[in-house]
Amino acid sequence: MINVTIDEKTIQVPEGTTVLKAAKMAGAEIPTLCDHPYLTPYGGCRLCLVEVQGSRTLQPACTLPVSNNMVVSTSTEKVKSARKFILTLIFSERNHFCPFCQLSGGDCELQNAAYREGMTHWQLQPNWTPYPVDASHPYFILDNNRCILCRRCVRACGELVGNFTLGFEERGSLSMLIADLGSTPLGESSCISCGSCVQVCPTGAIIDRQSAYKGHVTQVDTTSSFCIGCSIGCGITVAARDNQLVRIEGDWEAAVNGGVLCKVGRFYPMDERRERITTPLVRKDGALKQATWEEALAHIVGQIKPLTGQKETGIAALASTRLPAEALVNFKKLFVDHLKSGMVTTLEEGFSTAPAARLAEKMGKSFEGDLNTLDSSDCILVAGIDLVQDHEVAGFFIKRAQPHGTKLILVDAKVNSLEVAADAVIKPEAGNMTVALDNLSKKAGSPEMIAAADLLAKAQHPVFVFGNGLGETELQALINLAASVNGVVIGMKGGANSLVASQLQLDAPFKLNGHKAAFVALGDDFSTQKFEDELKNVPFLVVQTAYRSPLFDSASVVLPVENWAEIEGHYLNLEGRLQETHPSLQAPQGVYSNALAIETLASALGFDVKGDWKAELAARTPAVALVA
Amino acid sequence: MGKPKISSDWLAGCAGCHMSLLDIDERIIQVAELADLRATPITDLKAPDESGVDVGILEGGVNNSANEEVAHRMRSRCTLLVALGDCAVFGGVPAMRNFFTLEESLRRAYVETESTDSEGKIPDDPELAIPQRVRALSEVVPVDIFVPGCPPDANTIFYVLSELAQGRRPEITGDKLDWH
Repeated sequence: MINVTIDEKTIQVPEGTTVLKAAKMAGAEIPTLCDHPYLTPYGGCRLCLVEVQGSRTLQPACTLPVSNNMVVSTSTEKVKSARKFILTLIFSERNHFCPFCQLSGGDCELQNAAYREGMTHWQLQPNWTPYPVDASHPYFILDNNRCILCRRCVRACGELVGNFTLGFEERGSLSMLIADLGSTPLGESSCISCGSCVQVCPTGAIIDRQSAYKGHVTQVDTTSSFCIGCSIGCGITVAARDNQLVRIEGDWEAAVNGGVLCKVGRFYPMDERRERITTPLVRKDGALKQATWEEALAHIVGQIKPLTGQKETGIAALASTRLPAEALVNFKKLFVDHLKSGMVTTLEEGFSTAPAARLAEKMGKSFEGDLNTLDSSDCILVAGIDLVQDHEVAGFFIKRAQPHGTKLILVDAKVNSLEVAADAVIKPEAGNMTVALDNLSKKAGSPEMIAAADLLAKAQHPVFVFGNGLGETELQALINLAASVNGVVIGMKGGANSLVASQLQLDAPFKLNGHKAAFVALGDDFSTQKFEDELKNVPFLVVQTAYRSPLFDSASVVLPVENWAEIEGHYLNLEGRLQETHPSLQAPQGVYSNALAIETLASALGFDVKGDWKAELAARTPAVALVA
Repeated sequence: MGKPKISSDWLAGCAGCHMSLLDIDERIIQVAELADLRATPITDLKAPDESGVDVGILEGGVNNSANEEVAHRMRSRCTLLVALGDCAVFGGVPAMRNFFTLEESLRRAYVETESTDSEGKIPDDPELAIPQRVRALSEVVPVDIFVPGCPPDANTIFYVLSELAQGRRPEITGDKLDWH
């Protein structure tokens, strides 16, 4: 610990602390623009200049490490006039016109900084040269006129996402924000639409098409929740106004993702175009007609009640893994325990969880690794999953670790998008994955294989990531390989509540056997062609859904339920982290929660599904270890 | 000493700042009690007294030779000059045309707009003011007090007027500082 005096207050800070951080600890507020708490200090805007005793010139607080007995002043006249001058220069460098910028009025860090310094006007006029605007991207627009060259977006793209799409060309006042070295418009570039650049931009230079002009930070209600796009369970902050979505951002405080999101979490939910269902529908005279819950439930009871106990040919039931744990537990209790159906599973049919669950049962222990180990790993082996196509955020963690020297080994029979970035690529022929993994632990086989095995042997913190491309024996080989080098194993799984479905043993392949009825708890999920075709000939189909679905063609009854933004419920992510979503929108009247809809149906059938849902998660042996 | 004389005029703006001034509602009577409201675009007297006024207020940026003349006239006849609103302070929305040549903007406005018929033509009467690049007021004449906003809030305008009417210099800080 070393001593530092900031504005006449002496405090002790760890060596290496920047003046900016030390000032915060001492309660002195230094304005910043290019600095961002989750990005490497850059020292580009100079707004944070402070006076350091003994130093000839003013120093940037964001990049200057504290030295012992340093004396810093953060608000002398000299500092204040420098700040005003810097802001004057920034305003004059480009074309910042507040009246028609979507951030003006509280959300612009540049405008707020000017207000803080009491600037009523600009001493220098704007540049007046029109700068390039790139509006080729579907979700956001790059406007170089409003850019202050802070490079937060460039740093976020590289440091947080590992994508390195954004960059600057030219120097000084000619610096332009570009994609892929300027070779292509952003919309046709290597951009993966994660939107991290939008989230960190301090001015209106990166315009979010969906939320622009829909409300300032002070005008919206924000809710901390979790994305249910996949099993990673990223923390999100949802902004809503008058019960309408405004935008979704990554939650910087979230343990899993630390602020980053992929397009599935940030942009797709904003693009929802399906028709919302707000009342139950019952098929009458060949068409689905609006009905009350009582009518709809009575109709279902009449058809389903007689099927109780018909294990093989009675009622088949399917649920989405986007449903909260509470709903999945009710679903299992109603269809497995009470109606005694033998065909109760999820839309993902256990594809991504069943082999791991069977193996865990045999081994007597579960293996859910921590995603954060990817950031500190020096060698990552990815088997049987394309982390650019799905579970993208885990792919970010790997891509962003690589510039720090982390090696990547890919074992995949299929074409994998991470191949270009991998240090070793092993492409086992179909059915030979086990052999490949065994060879890696035996250091045998092709030169490529031996090179990969060497990388693993040298690693201090190897991590093994697997997806649904691995069957039980292949997974066993992977576990053995990981054990031989003391590595962490992370199973990516599938949907948001894949792991809950697995714990509830809702993981069998879906097969109809002349079933007389089917129930699909779709929630806000999409059905697939496969299920639409299979369910077409079931005499009585009930669909519990938030939106109109192709399943309506053959549905006899439709029950309206909540979508992701309205759900208050629990999700068990791929690490075994139990997270609770909070509603950012209020469901339309007459729409039930997924759990309540099933509970209501159960009691109409004379069953009680109430009880401790959490206990059910531990029903399977071995129970997954919950992350605290 | 009598009541301070206040005069105002408008340049390349939308008149919105003067509308916001009128939004001070009945408080305009208090202002009139404290100050002598002279020539304004919304009173009968149109030009500031040749003998001079204590406070001159200008709305809008400078975008042609007529604006320039009015700005110089006001500056030469007032002691304190107030730039009222974002156009006077920064150039504002009209300044967006500075990204194009004058020829391009005139052609767009008088010939190419969707509502212009084939008769459309750029006005060229020699008596018309000559269009220029849009400038903030302070680029043309020295400004003493800047009141940004699009338009400035009526409460801010009332504060500015009442301070000036009482011989004080208004401080635009805190909630009153809002560029929009």
